[in-house]
This record gives sequence, structure tokens and C-alpha cells, in this order.
Amino acid sequence: MLSLSKIQTIALFTMRDILKSKILLNVFLIGLALMLLTYIAAEFTYGVPERVALDIGLGMLTISSLGIALFMGATLISKEIDSRTVYMIISRPVSRSSFILGKVVGLLAVLVINILLLSTMTLIATSLLGGKIDELVWWAIGFILIESLLLLLVVLFFSLISNTILSIIMSLVLLFLGHAIQDTQSLSFVQERPLLGTLLKIYHLFLPGFYKLNLKDYILYDQSLPFSYLSGSLIYGMAYSFFLIFIIITIFEKKNLD
Amino acid sequence: MISFTNITKKFKTDFYAQEFVALNNVSFQIPQGSMVGFLGANGAGKTTSLKIIMDFIRPTEGEVRFDKELGLNKFEVNKNIGFLPERPYFYPNLRGEEFLEFMGTLSEVQLQTIRERVKFWGPRFKIDHALKRELKTYSKGMLQRIGFLATILHEPKLIILDEPLSGLDPIGRKELKDVIIEVHKNGKTVFFSSHIVSDIEEICDRVIFLKEGNLVYDGSVQTLMNQNQNNIFECKIVGANLSQLKTNIIKTVELSEGLKVIQVASENKDRLLAELITNQISIVGLDFVRPSLEEIFYQTKGN
Repeated sequence: MLSLSKIQTIALFTMRDILKSKILLNVFLIGLALMLLTYIAAEFTYGVPERVALDIGLGMLTISSLGIALFMGATLISKEIDSRTVYMIISRPVSRSSFILGKVVGLLAVLVINILLLSTMTLIATSLLGGKIDELVWWAIGFILIESLLLLLVVLFFSLISNTILSIIMSLVLLFLGHAIQDTQSLSFVQERPLLGTLLKIYHLFLPGFYKLNLKDYILYDQSLPFSYLSGSLIYGMAYSFFLIFIIITIFEKKNLD
Repeated sequence: MISFTNITKKFKTDFYAQEFVALNNVSFQIPQGSMVGFLGANGAGKTTSLKIIMDFIRPTEGEVRFDKELGLNKFEVNKNIGFLPERPYFYPNLRGEEFLEFMGTLSEVQLQTIRERVKFWGPRFKIDHALKRELKTYSKGMLQRIGFLATILHEPKLIILDEPLSGLDPIGRKELKDVIIEVHKNGKTVFFSSHIVSDIEEICDRVIFLKEGNLVYDGSVQTLMNQNQNNIFECKIVGANLSQLKTNIIKTVELSEGLKVIQVASENKDRLLAELITNQISIVGLDFVRPSLEEIFYQTKGN
């Protein structure tokens, strides 16, 4: 039985615990490195320093968000079982689904804070260098959040059926494949081999296509994207996330917590 | 309050490994208002049983039932149970009071009530001075105490504790035992596992013994003690030549300063006393030898 108040409580205290760890310091250091890199790159770039600043900023924002999602997501539940905290919580009137959703929402809130801080720094640096922030940048920042959520759910799913290291490795493999799948399908090597093409199509059908959420190349080359593509990617990311949440809850409900 | 009926739990560590039977058709009940000790060596199946009761793991066979008084569904039951796992390690970056607030809120206790109860119980658990500190700075004993406080914060009817006294120093154990007794006197049913036999003997009225996944005893502590009495009396005397005594003596132990301890069977006690008096031997004391629960446990090896 899902309880919004329980999810909210668990999310709040999960977020508090993570934020009190060294993670905010890391975000702050990444922010400083981002400003420094932007300054150096701008000095060495002729003509388009603001574009370089934006590219570096969005790149670091992606790496830090995916890093938090991957490494904190892998231990989000296993750490609770190892430290037996999960026993204290689900022995209360709290369902397993509320517990796991609370943990996910708590970590998602940390991701939101990370993205807010770093994107603010990126946008300030870009503006100071005379760059304009068009609509696609806002979409890109939103998509980084969705991509991080998707990776968090993928690693959480793997952590429930394997161990921490395996879940990180498998999630990284899926992340790289998910970014490369579209380009790989268009390779002549693949097109000349129908069986390989069919396998990739099946992969594309079921496993997450992270490339749909990557808008950084379009921003760098100043290309525009139709609203239908953006909204389609948004719906894809959200639907895949809900699908994974459903799978994760189903597994966790049946899992022996020993 | 709990009926643990015909529970069997088998584990398989790996796909290709043979099944390991952690619990073999174990049944017992926890009566309302009792203080039950759950005894067994490491690996006997105590924690597995508690995890099955709490629905953290599911049994291979058998079922666990709760009295209607605890509730009609899992959520109502959980509102009336306080569970403390073995060696808990809580969120390290939360402060003590934050953690208690968290656990209390999850148990649907109002914030004001949580604060009042923390104010009441904090000094008794000797944890009040540390509530503003982060949990990562707590010692093992302090974590155990704050964990126990969190367990009783919502005033549950049934308290289940997994090795609550392990890892505590003698003073910490005494303090926690006193609180367990106090909570029990307030009408709570307490069920706790331990491999420290003397603790269970000291505070429990009922004991459940597990050995290698099998139930070997379920009953009152007193009955177990009575069943295992060896009917021996111990007489302490001062400096005498024991060769002049004709009573059948089981064992003699010489202590310091001429003090001797003579053990005789119950039926020979009166004869020994008469002989000692006749021979004008000074008697310091006479006691019935009661084996402790620990001695019974080791003598029978849980059989």
C-alpha cells in the first residue's frame, strides 16, 4: 500500500543524510572546476568562447549527475540491508513500495539540487561571456535530469538482482550502448548484416535509448529540434522510468531481505 | 500474540549448491504479557526466525499468525510491534534526534509526542546528552540504546529484539536490561534473542531453545531449571578432618583459610549435619546447589 506521507518522510531523511555527507562539497568543487575550465577555455578559444563554456558546463553537469545516480543508486538499497536500517523502517507501518519510492525520490532530490547548482553556474558563465540561452538549453538540462533518473533506476534494478559492482558495470554498459545504438544501426557494417541489424532493433526496442535524451550536440552546432522530437523524447524517458519503477517495486516486494 | 507454526526455512547459497535447512518444522507461541528469551548458539536459526516473523524473508513452509489484538492486517500489526535488529547501524549523517523523529514519524506518532517521549526516555537510556550529535560519532552501545529508544517510541504492544545486549559492556547491559524490565512491567510483551544465557535467566519468565534449526525447549525458565536440578547440597565448614565423617560425600573443595565445601546428595544432608554437629565441626553455611541456565545449556548442549 503506497503512502504519500511515508514516501515524503523517507525521501526527506534520505536527502538530508546524503546532503550531510561530502556530496555537496564534491558538487561545489565540480562547480569551481567548471568555472576555471570555462575561463581557461574561453581564453584559448577564438570567436565562440560562450559556446565552449556552455559545452563544458553541460558536459560536467551530465558527468556529475550520472556519477551520483550510478554510484549512489548502486548502494541505495544494498547499504540499507547491510546496515539493517531497512529492517527498522519496514517493520513500521511502511510498505516496501513506499520505502523504495521514498529512497528513489530522496536521491532524485539530490540530483535536482546538483543540477540546479551546476546549471546555474554554467548559465551564469555563458551569459557573462555573451552567450544567449535559448530554449533548447533548458530542454537539455531537463533531459540530463531524466537521463540521470533513468540511469539511477537501471542501476537500482541491477543492484536488486546482483551485487554492487556488477550492477555498476552492467549499468555503464547499458549507458554506453544506449548512447551508441542509433549511430551503430546506421553503420554500413550493420546494414550489410541483416541478423545483426535485427538484433540491434530488438535491443533498441526493449533497452533504454539514452541517446534520445542527449541534446548537447544540437546545442553545440546551433541546430534546432522540432517540438515533436523533444516531447517524444520526454515521454519516452518518463514512460521508461515508470516502467522501471514498476519492475523495481515488483522485485523488491518479493525479495528476501537477508 | 504470535503463533509461529511448523516453520521450515531452506536456503540455497548458490544455484548449484545444496539446500541448507536453517529452520526445521519449528513451532512456538509468544503469549501476551510474557517476557520470552530466544536462546541458541550462533547459527541456530534465531535471526532467521525473527526475520520470518517480521516478514523480511518468507518461510519455505509453515505460517506466522498474529493475535487480532495486534491488528487485522500487516500495517495495523506493524503499528503495534517494535523491532530492533542485531547490531544496527543507522544513517551516519543524521543527528540522534533527527533519527528518532524519522522513526517516530514513520510510526505515525505526532512530532510533539515524539519530543515528549524522547525527553522522558532519553535520560533513562543515558542518551539525552548525545541527541544533538550525528550518529556516526556514537559508540556501539550508544547506537544500541538509541535503536532501542526508537523501538519503543510508538509504544508498541509487542517488542522484538534481536541480540539487544550483544556488544555492550557490563554496565551498558545492566542499564538496558533494567529498561527492558521496566517496559515489560508497563504491560508490553517482550521477545528477545540472545546467546548470553545468563541475561535470559535473569529477566525472562519463558525461554525458547533452538539448536541447529530445531526447537529443543519451549517453556518456563523455572520448569527447565527444576527439570535439571541435580539435588545436591553444599555445606561449608571450617578446618576439619573429613576422614572421620561416614556420610557419603560427592565432592570436596578446599578454599582458602581452612574453609572447605562438601557436596552431598539431598537425602544425605541431614545425616551430614548431624555428624558435623556431633564432631563439633563449625558449619559456615548450607545451600542447595542450583545449576544456572547457562550450566544446563552447556551440560545438555541444547539437547
